[in-house]
Amino acid sequence: MGLAQGFSTTALGSQLLVGLSLAMILFIVTSGLSFILGVLRIPNIAHGSLYMIGAFSAFSISRLLGGGALGFWLALLLAPLVVALVSFIAERTLFCHLYEREHLMLLLFTFALMLVLGDLVKMFWGANYRSITAPVSFQGSVNLFGAPSPRYNLFLLLLGPLVAVGLWLFSNKTKIGKIARAAAVDREMVGAIGINVSWVFAFAFVFGCFLAGLGGALVAPTISITLGMDHDIIMEAFLIVTIGGLGNMWGALVGSLIFGLTQSFGILFLPQFAIVFPYAAVVIVLIWRPKGLLKSVW
Amino acid sequence: MAGKMCTMRQRGLLTGCILALSFVVLSLILLPAHADARNIKVGIIDCYSGPPAVYARDALNGFKLALKEINKKGVLGRKIEYTTRDTKFKVGIALNMAKELVMRDHVDVLAGTINSGAALAVSENVAMPNKVPFMVWISKSENITGKKGNRYAFSTGENTAMAGKAGGVALAKRPYVKYWIAGDDYEYGHAIGRAAWQNLKALKPDVKVIGESWWKPGEPNLTPYITAILSAKPDAVIFCTGGRSMTNIMKEIKATGMAKKVPIWIHTGIDYGVDKPLGLHGPVGVMGTTDYLFYYPESPENKAFDKAYEAAYGDHPGFASFHGYITARFIARAFTKAGSLDKEKFIDALEGLKVKSPVGGEIEMRACDHQAVLPEYFGITAMSPKHKFLIAKDITTLTGAEVMPSCAEIMKVRGK
Repeated sequence: MGLAQGFSTTALGSQLLVGLSLAMILFIVTSGLSFILGVLRIPNIAHGSLYMIGAFSAFSISRLLGGGALGFWLALLLAPLVVALVSFIAERTLFCHLYEREHLMLLLFTFALMLVLGDLVKMFWGANYRSITAPVSFQGSVNLFGAPSPRYNLFLLLLGPLVAVGLWLFSNKTKIGKIARAAAVDREMVGAIGINVSWVFAFAFVFGCFLAGLGGALVAPTISITLGMDHDIIMEAFLIVTIGGLGNMWGALVGSLIFGLTQSFGILFLPQFAIVFPYAAVVIVLIWRPKGLLKSVW
Repeated sequence: MAGKMCTMRQRGLLTGCILALSFVVLSLILLPAHADARNIKVGIIDCYSGPPAVYARDALNGFKLALKEINKKGVLGRKIEYTTRDTKFKVGIALNMAKELVMRDHVDVLAGTINSGAALAVSENVAMPNKVPFMVWISKSENITGKKGNRYAFSTGENTAMAGKAGGVALAKRPYVKYWIAGDDYEYGHAIGRAAWQNLKALKPDVKVIGESWWKPGEPNLTPYITAILSAKPDAVIFCTGGRSMTNIMKEIKATGMAKKVPIWIHTGIDYGVDKPLGLHGPVGVMGTTDYLFYYPESPENKAFDKAYEAAYGDHPGFASFHGYITARFIARAFTKAGSLDKEKFIDALEGLKVKSPVGGEIEMRACDHQAVLPEYFGITAMSPKHKFLIAKDITTLTGAEVMPSCAEIMKVRGK
């Protein structure tokens, strides 16, 4: 057992693919968290709740539209918008009062918001486990490296890099993206040159939460949509953001890759201790580089 | 900068919201409690938040349905009433809530919970010292009525020893030799794996484990585990998953086409609560076990129970609903037989008591260990023309006597 057993290229190849697709979901969710951390300096613990709302909305929308392929694609488009709407309301009524408070206050506040949103989800969707299915063409698996790879995972594998490139283009090539980055560095200066910082912040917050919703909608076909999803993701998301460098988009990508790959290879090498691997990787990274792998904007 | 982020109007809105909220909270606190007419009081502690809430709600619904019938006639000229407390799946909260129900609300019987740790803690630290009977209705740890069993603890549901034995007996009849065992890394997962393996090994000594993998309960991404298991090429796989991990593992089995490549047994793989959310997209050909199916046996009693439950809650009863239902019947019958509200007399009456089962026949509360004698159904997931979700086919029934540890075995583990 264990390391003594030789591992075929089949096993290594399929673990690599699975690990990468896991990393892509984590990246989409954590890039939103990282964006909000970078621009607004808010450690948003409720990010996981928005991810959960994204998944539940995807379920409702796809069921409302008959559950077919069309329903699925529309759910993928609309669910993040539902989350964006929720986060817009939260930002305009609650968060905008709190930007100047210290981090501990914000941490407690977003923690409270996570509990409230969790209960609202229970009131709205109930406690049942929900599930949606990917369109027929994305069901089942194909053989790659002689091992079965779920088609949907391959789809995620393609989508992840697209989101990363899109994010890079957005924050480097568009005006609003540049303003958001500037506000991250010096919000008073941005205000001084006549830009309405309040709305920049609102936009940045909603955009980050949109990504949480997108992550939730994307993950929905692969897991059971249930209460408690928020807790599962938020711990991992914060670890990833921390090892990648707070507020750094590429850091989120690197952190997600480390997390996803250590997990999937850990499972292959020492399945009984697989849970430990990603966390051990986090510890090693943080001992080596306490501020994260890439430059933190904090 | 402070204050510039929002307009005054938004600030007014916020103040309004806070005022309205505090009014609601205050009025809830200050509402007068109903006068006590000394009905029979059942205090329920269970997890009504987070993923386990679905089973806790099922149990409560089954319990309420039975109470509706029972309270029409009453018990000893009284009604049975209940009060619930949310444990949030935490042992500490469960203990505090149970203590509060006993000390302040003076409940006659405690009931709950889905969390095995909480059930054991309440059994040993609240029920036993305060001499209050405790009916465990969902959690499946065999220790509740086994090693840690006591005079005040009763179980109205199957346990890991029974489920594991049902799986082990069924697998022993099949030709597989090399097994992989994988599951949720918590008490339930390991207990079910242990029980299945011990029974399988005893009946078929040449079987061997070629590997194990354990993930955190509720782990959302199980694909890497499955691909790793498949590359080890076992003859069969035993999955020891519970709760929401069940939906996750069933989805992954379907997505990777695993059920077509290797035989799989998962306790509760044929359970309605597991197969319903998957609809017709669940994996066909997975072996599973459960102690309740609303469509089997096809007795008139079971059909009537299903119909009544569906009329009341708009859904078929799951195994937890069944447990909740028989719990209420056990409580009512035991008080009637005891002839008083005395707790010790209630326990004496409950030992060996038989109640009508909603599936037909009778269910006995075994006197020696306080475990309800329930059968286990073994079947394989399949499509059904009648339902929009997978059901079990080729069902075989193992009676309670066949799957339960004997009274002598129980006394041995209790060290008596």
